[in-house]
Amino acid sequence: MRKLILTHEFVLFVLVVLLCVAIGIKNPAFWSLGNVFDLLKSSVTLGLLALGVLVILISGDIDISFPAIAAFSMYVTCLIAQATGLGDHIAILFGMAAATGGLLGAFNAVFIHFFRLPALIVTLGTASLIRGGLLAFVGTRIITDLPESMVAFSRAQLFRQQLPGGETIGLAVSIFILVGVALLVQFLLNHTLLGRGIYALGGAPEAARRVGFNIRRIRFFIFALVGCLAGVVGIIHASNMRNANPFDLSGLELTVIAAVVVGGADITGGKGTVIGTILGTLLLVIIGNSLILMGLPTEWHKVAVGAIIIVSAGMAAWRRRMGRNSGRRK
Amino acid sequence: MLNRSRFTMKESAMSVIRWLGLAGLMCLTLVPLGCSPDRAADGNNRYVIATVVKVDGIAWFETMREGVEAFGKDTGHRVFVLGPAKADAAEQVQIIEGLIAQQVDAICVVPFSVEAVEPVLRRARERGIVVISHEASSQQNADLIIEPFENAEYGRHLMDELARYMGEKGEYATFVGSLTSKSHNEWVDAAVAHQKEAYPGMVNVAAKIEDYDDQNLAYEKTRELITTYPNLTGILGSAMSTVPGAALAVEERGLQDRIQVVGTSLVSVSGPYLKSGAAKLISFWDPADAGYAMNKLAVMQLEGKTVQEGADLGIDGYRELAGSPDRPNLFYGSAWMDVTKDNLAQFETK
Repeated sequence: MRKLILTHEFVLFVLVVLLCVAIGIKNPAFWSLGNVFDLLKSSVTLGLLALGVLVILISGDIDISFPAIAAFSMYVTCLIAQATGLGDHIAILFGMAAATGGLLGAFNAVFIHFFRLPALIVTLGTASLIRGGLLAFVGTRIITDLPESMVAFSRAQLFRQQLPGGETIGLAVSIFILVGVALLVQFLLNHTLLGRGIYALGGAPEAARRVGFNIRRIRFFIFALVGCLAGVVGIIHASNMRNANPFDLSGLELTVIAAVVVGGADITGGKGTVIGTILGTLLLVIIGNSLILMGLPTEWHKVAVGAIIIVSAGMAAWRRRMGRNSGRRK
Repeated sequence: MLNRSRFTMKESAMSVIRWLGLAGLMCLTLVPLGCSPDRAADGNNRYVIATVVKVDGIAWFETMREGVEAFGKDTGHRVFVLGPAKADAAEQVQIIEGLIAQQVDAICVVPFSVEAVEPVLRRARERGIVVISHEASSQQNADLIIEPFENAEYGRHLMDELARYMGEKGEYATFVGSLTSKSHNEWVDAAVAHQKEAYPGMVNVAAKIEDYDDQNLAYEKTRELITTYPNLTGILGSAMSTVPGAALAVEERGLQDRIQVVGTSLVSVSGPYLKSGAAKLISFWDPADAGYAMNKLAVMQLEGKTVQEGADLGIDGYRELAGSPDRPNLFYGSAWMDVTKDNLAQFETK
């Protein structure tokens, strides 16, 4: 019991519940079904990117090029779909975008692994290269005539119902992509040799090499994985917005990294869990989408978001000091 | 494979264009143009006028190029458009320095940073080059400054439209790109002040929500507004992204009959929502007309005509310029255009 209470995830869970109760007291509309559906839908893109970044952080690296990769994969896929008529089925589009993203991610890994450059500098460079290349050579025009399958995907909802005022609400199906990917990443990290290798690489790279983990393969896998997820996020984003704007999805990297770190991952590698990352994502999404609900004036929005991040990160540090004697943590 | 060939083709096309542009510039420098403007067949002087934009290649300034080229065609003056490959103040300054060296007759500039171009514009004016500024009402070193409209007047106009759709009563929310976007805040401040005076039945329940020019944020904030204010009936947008984002949220909830979305946007992104009724009216100004007006002003100044209130620049929206009480060289058009479901077809390319 003491062990459970001392986990970072438990503390974070309590924080999320407290926050929900507090917002709900201030404005009971927070608990309306429509709002809960909205929050879940908002968690999808942030959550998918956070899961990719989680794997990268566990391995001791970092990636800040994923928003550019997401925008690039989204735009190029939509252009190809427009030109060729492919894309009757949303799965084909997801596949194309994930493949494009995966290739770009592997491109990062080439520099990081073979040239031994710091991942921060490499991905800072490729982020600029990918976004710049997209705008300079591919296009700046917003694509508005997306394939029908994308619009249909964004319109697909479960538990669709009409409220007395004539308002319709429903749960976006994209939430199941997040749930599926979260389960896959959980399985990968904890039940495969590759997953153990990722933890080992982040915890002690030299030791991981000596016990025989293939570092090159692990590096290429994780950077391609985050690229694939970014590609998927690109398609979900374009579907949701009903257009593909090459300027979109910028400036997401810090929010995503914040969600993962609030979720308990260690920026120096070796630590982090899927459940923590999901809770960190939920925390940031709930704060970001409840400031109007709480009646805060716009001037205070940034202050509130910053304060919550500091409080949750501070609680994690405090817990770490308290739990220093309670043995190894993941 | 398909991808790759696309890339290289586009790339080589770009480089050909670059070289042609460079060659054109070199030709310009070879002829000592600024000193002795040649005479056209009709006996008028023919001037060389450069228009320097914030970024070369993006849709907004490509449209402005069309307007500038139309002016060249109409009048026979030598006009061309230049701009940095990315939005960068230092590169824009370098381009203007190059134009001073070439001794063009006039420079029309849409500064990326008003302050950053002040010194180079002062140098240009010292060499006798006429300087016209646009989207830069605080510019010090310019002969004339032309703005598409007066911000407060535009804000009041948007409020009038919103009020009309809302039946002059009910709760509404306002959006800005960010609290630091100067024009957005001026529009919204004027709109809300006008509402308090003219439409007492309306209430501003959520003021200046920021969407950071991000359609997704506009969408999420609108959903939150709908949850928070069950009686919300109006939304006033400022950034190009607000109307499509807000209208999407309204459409998704099936509330297009109750909530009226009005604001600044472009037909390319908001057209579908105007059609579906989720957005009621968008307004914007045409960069092509602004480019035309700037070049026209440059010629008027070169010909020694004094520009004053009521001046006609020969293009819609700039037929009767308004002046500014404290800045004698600052002029406003009334160049906004409203688009609704009814006149959408004629704007389909904007």
